[in-house]
Amino acid sequence: MNISAEIWQAFVVCVAAIFTQNILLSYFLGLCPFIGVSREIKAAFGLGAAVIFVMVSTCMLNWLAYRYVLLPLNLHFFRFILFIVIIAAFVQFVEMVIDRFSPRLYQTLGVFLPLITVNCAILGASLFMVIRNYTFIVAVGYGLGSGIGWFVAIVAMAGIRQKLKNDRIPPGLQGAGITLIITGLMALAFIGFTGVLQGG
Amino acid sequence: MKKSPQKQKLEQMLHSSRIVAGGFMGTDTRSIDEIIDADLARLDRLGKTATEIAQKMQQITDAACRGLGEWVKIDDRRQAMVDEAKGIMVCPWPHPGRFCKRLTFVKNVDTGTQIRWSDLNIHLIGEHGFFEGVGSEFRIEPIGLVELIFDI
Amino acid sequence: MAQEILVAVLIVSLTSAALATLLAVSERFLSDYGQCRVLLNDEKEITVQGGKTLLSVLSDNKIFIPSACGGRGTCGLCKLKVQEGAGLLLPTEEPYLNQQERDSGVRLSCQVKVRNDLKIQIPEELFNIREFTCKCAEITDLTHDIKQFRFELVEPDKIDYIPGQYIQLLTPVYEKSSEEVYRAYSVSGDPADKNHIELIIRYVPGGICTTYCFKYLKVGDEVRFNGPYGQFRLTDTDSPVVFIAGGSGMAPIKCILHHMKNNGIKRTAVYYFGAKKVKDMFMQDLMKKFQDELPDFKFIPAVSSPDPDEKWDGQKGLVTEVVKRDLKNAAQHEAYLCGSPGLVDAAEKVLVELGLTEDKIFYDKFA
Repeated sequence: MNISAEIWQAFVVCVAAIFTQNILLSYFLGLCPFIGVSREIKAAFGLGAAVIFVMVSTCMLNWLAYRYVLLPLNLHFFRFILFIVIIAAFVQFVEMVIDRFSPRLYQTLGVFLPLITVNCAILGASLFMVIRNYTFIVAVGYGLGSGIGWFVAIVAMAGIRQKLKNDRIPPGLQGAGITLIITGLMALAFIGFTGVLQGG
Repeated sequence: MKKSPQKQKLEQMLHSSRIVAGGFMGTDTRSIDEIIDADLARLDRLGKTATEIAQKMQQITDAACRGLGEWVKIDDRRQAMVDEAKGIMVCPWPHPGRFCKRLTFVKNVDTGTQIRWSDLNIHLIGEHGFFEGVGSEFRIEPIGLVELIFDI
Repeated sequence: MAQEILVAVLIVSLTSAALATLLAVSERFLSDYGQCRVLLNDEKEITVQGGKTLLSVLSDNKIFIPSACGGRGTCGLCKLKVQEGAGLLLPTEEPYLNQQERDSGVRLSCQVKVRNDLKIQIPEELFNIREFTCKCAEITDLTHDIKQFRFELVEPDKIDYIPGQYIQLLTPVYEKSSEEVYRAYSVSGDPADKNHIELIIRYVPGGICTTYCFKYLKVGDEVRFNGPYGQFRLTDTDSPVVFIAGGSGMAPIKCILHHMKNNGIKRTAVYYFGAKKVKDMFMQDLMKKFQDELPDFKFIPAVSSPDPDEKWDGQKGLVTEVVKRDLKNAAQHEAYLCGSPGLVDAAEKVLVELGLTEDKIFYDKFA
């Protein structure tokens, strides 16, 4: 496969990961911070942006670790442990770097990083990419798409929840209850994208 | 459930005894969002919004201030009195909010029931829908409050 | 088989260890800001280890910037001007600063980290603030909710303050409070006695420091405070003086009266002191003594609603009403007010009605 075909495939995978196979709305991964941090658009925006960044970077790192460490040593069954360790170490490292060099960026994005370390969507993206045998470039596209997909979902949810603030919600459904119902409705809406992409 | 770092910081502030002895959360183990949601749901059933309640509370406090510490007649059923101390209270939410240390005592003349609130309470209810955690010194029960200050 | 497992475990452990080392090493380099110099008001320079917030660095160096939230970026009190080296404004500071403050470099000192050399500007008066250790020498009940606390200074053993100023008492960690907090109280004692300070404190329900002072503090206990703070003081003019106070607002006025006696100040003075009930009155004997010792001083206590069984032959009514009735014309006076914000506001209104201009009215609301 030549490079341009690969880039095209990466693009298709990326778009598919945003819409038709949104990691949050079709696999329901990363649901915990999604519900917890979607009350305000500002916080949702920061967390979403941090997820995009970490998702892309860890997909790259984990792809390299899988291809050049685990496969040659025939230790692919250790990918769960290794991936999560790499994600954790990477997030820690990035947090330190941002804190040192841009305190302002740290306050907007960096503070969300510890929350992401154990976000299952991040680990999920790395595992899917391995299971589906993506090449490096496609894996990057997949990471980017998954991140953007998660970002879109949480920002949309935060927007909806901010609007809901002044609406009357049955007492038993307030908070997490109504959020889960909305998530379900959003997921249904995203199913509407199926068929947009043939190659995905 | 995971909370945003801003919310974690806020809860830390609410639990700490920096601003008021014992903190704002009392013995309540619920999260800040759960406390607010539960109280607002109760208000909903009574048909009042937090803003309306805060406005009414502010009216009563303003009227009571004229008494300089003496009981003041608010209407046929209610009396109120303020008690002030020196110093300021700050709002635990991250925005500029400073209030006098002023307590308003409101009494229903017929039943004798009495509730007290601080200026900070009015702000917390009106702006943040927060009636404080159960078991904290200045927790106000929304239902009792509405019954006392409104004619329902 | 066993060998395979061993190798696998070894490799995963090695990778983890390598990553951990990487983190430890980068932390060593990234979080080390080295020695930073902080230049205060272009005159004093302090050298500090970088990485901490400006607020805590300054308090380590015994420069006390007011703060109510303990450096959490909630109260916005710890503002100061950073002329150089603070970096970009942080989102956590934005709500507290208006455009004018932003333009002139005002920052929240609890949010600004010392990462490099800094040039800052702080109010001159904060330089003179020291921290004192003292021992509680005497606790006197004045009324059911007001007590007088007398402290003997230990280290340093002398304090110089201007009568009318206040100090901030440090409440240690105790049952009701998991953190050290400072609360402000006016000094009430005789300023000539430099080895002691006296405070008059009224119990505040739910108050961290007053609860500590009333329920936990014992004679002999060691406490700390810093100070002195505040601009409330007697002027140098010869205008007649009117004092108006209520409750623990007695403190700075009493201190000023001691000062007038010590220095032979012969200004005409009248002191209206308000209380709700007769049982809320205190220090009447002492005030009578001042009346005898000072050349032209009158103490007028007022009780607003005495209980039927209480005997009271002095002035009745709210202290502001008594002032209105008794003083009649205040155009030539200077007024010194101390008490709850409501009392201060009401008294100010009455005095303006009696012909006093607002620039002759002094008060300290701590707010």
